[in-house]
Amino acid sequence: MSSLGYLIKEGFKNIFNNRMMSLASIGVLISCLVLTGSAIMLSVNVSDIVRSVGDTNETKVYLSDDIEKLDAVYKKAEFLKIENVSEAEFIDKEDAIKTLRDKIGEDIYANMTGAGNPLPYSYNIKMEDLTKYDETLQKLKAVPGVESVSSQREVVKRLTSLSALITMMSFWIILALAIISLFIISNTIRMTMFSHRFEISIMKSVGATNNFVRVPFIIEGIFIGVVSAGISVGLLYVLSDAVIKAVKTILPFPYTPFTSIMWYIIAGFVGAGIIVGVLGSLVSIRRFLKREGNEILGW
Amino acid sequence: MIEFKNVSKVYASNGAHALDNVSINIAKGEFVFIVGSSGAGKSTFLKLIMREEQPTSGSIIVNDMFLERLKRRKVPYLRRTMGIVFQDFRLISKMTVYDNVAFAMRCVGKKSRTIKKRVPYILDLVGLSDKANDHPSELSGGEQQRVSLARALVNNPALIIADEPTGNIDPEMSYEIIELLSEINKRGTTVLVVTHEHDLVKSFGKRVITIDDGRVISDTADEEYVAI
Repeated sequence: MSSLGYLIKEGFKNIFNNRMMSLASIGVLISCLVLTGSAIMLSVNVSDIVRSVGDTNETKVYLSDDIEKLDAVYKKAEFLKIENVSEAEFIDKEDAIKTLRDKIGEDIYANMTGAGNPLPYSYNIKMEDLTKYDETLQKLKAVPGVESVSSQREVVKRLTSLSALITMMSFWIILALAIISLFIISNTIRMTMFSHRFEISIMKSVGATNNFVRVPFIIEGIFIGVVSAGISVGLLYVLSDAVIKAVKTILPFPYTPFTSIMWYIIAGFVGAGIIVGVLGSLVSIRRFLKREGNEILGW
Repeated sequence: MIEFKNVSKVYASNGAHALDNVSINIAKGEFVFIVGSSGAGKSTFLKLIMREEQPTSGSIIVNDMFLERLKRRKVPYLRRTMGIVFQDFRLISKMTVYDNVAFAMRCVGKKSRTIKKRVPYILDLVGLSDKANDHPSELSGGEQQRVSLARALVNNPALIIADEPTGNIDPEMSYEIIELLSEINKRGTTVLVVTHEHDLVKSFGKRVITIDDGRVISDTADEEYVAI
């Protein structure tokens, strides 16, 4: 344990002595993590929006004009019998015309109430599984008394493919940034190691194990990773809040705030920071530790 | 203590035959000088003992360890049985004398309490108690070499290897260093000194192994030694 305390102290000394390089790599890592976080936020929000659009995208089933109100109300049971139909909401034609009142104006509206109402009775249908959309649609059309069926199927299709594209792009961006981060940390540690090559050669000559030599550098890697993760989470918190506020005024959707995924991001970033820190330092130490004596010093 | 049996070493990188069928036996508690001109194979001999290199053929036993069978991760434990003194001292300039010596103990996981007891004792042994808080740059060459010796001794090794320990210090100090090594040898530690300073070797009357062109050309006791 006394060794571990000493090694941790040495790790922090390395960071301080190599502070410009440590700061530079923390800076670059923060950029990588903020971009990663932004990609995650974008991906999460787009898929949430698609889901909410999908949810509200009810298929409208219009009944024939000649159908009586009572018959129209009883159609609900028939719709619900169809497989994949989860909800069927009856819309009275009087209620439907009311929703158009503002658009058509009071005068026209007055002529269209009661017997003058040109609208049919209709249903808002929700489906459980959108992939079975087409066959469900056919079954709905086949119900006696159904005049027509309409939906915004194409909009959902496009949004779904957009969401998939964004998710895929986010994945590649995150992967590329992870590799860049790994490279940066391992390079920083290689520099530290190079400046400590003299001590390392003495350590090896007096019988220090490779693990003993490694630990301070791994601690340096973890420190860089975790500090960058912490700062990135803070920045993302502020940034995403501001971006959501701004976008909401143009595109009013229910956005997922950063706080709702914050703990996942913290866990992910700190975990990634530790993994990248450990991996980055191990990669750079591996070759160095294979050398012996004067080879370490480059003589 | 050290046993070389028909050891040859050919460097793969340049095909140089550094050692050619060398057999040497050094018993526990001996004081041995290894002499030879530059490029004779002395450095390779030391590298093989420290397991920095492995022989092309032959077998080596150091401090009861068969080096050809020694796993890589066990090499540090071999090195803990020996203390190395370098020609260029290899002291860490930003550390004090005390810390340079303590560093060797920290590297092998010794507790702070043990370090606090042992380092002053060793510094006293090499006559540097009053320089404990100085930095290497404030010391003379001879004093720096004594710090290097203190670092080699601090983990109480069975074997001390001194690679040209007097190469960077003036002749008067050179005698002092060999005297000190001789004192340490009297306490039971095996001492191996690599040097090319014939006068020094002659005046101490110890066993001398002469290596030339990768071969042992003489292995004599004290006064029989004649410089080549």
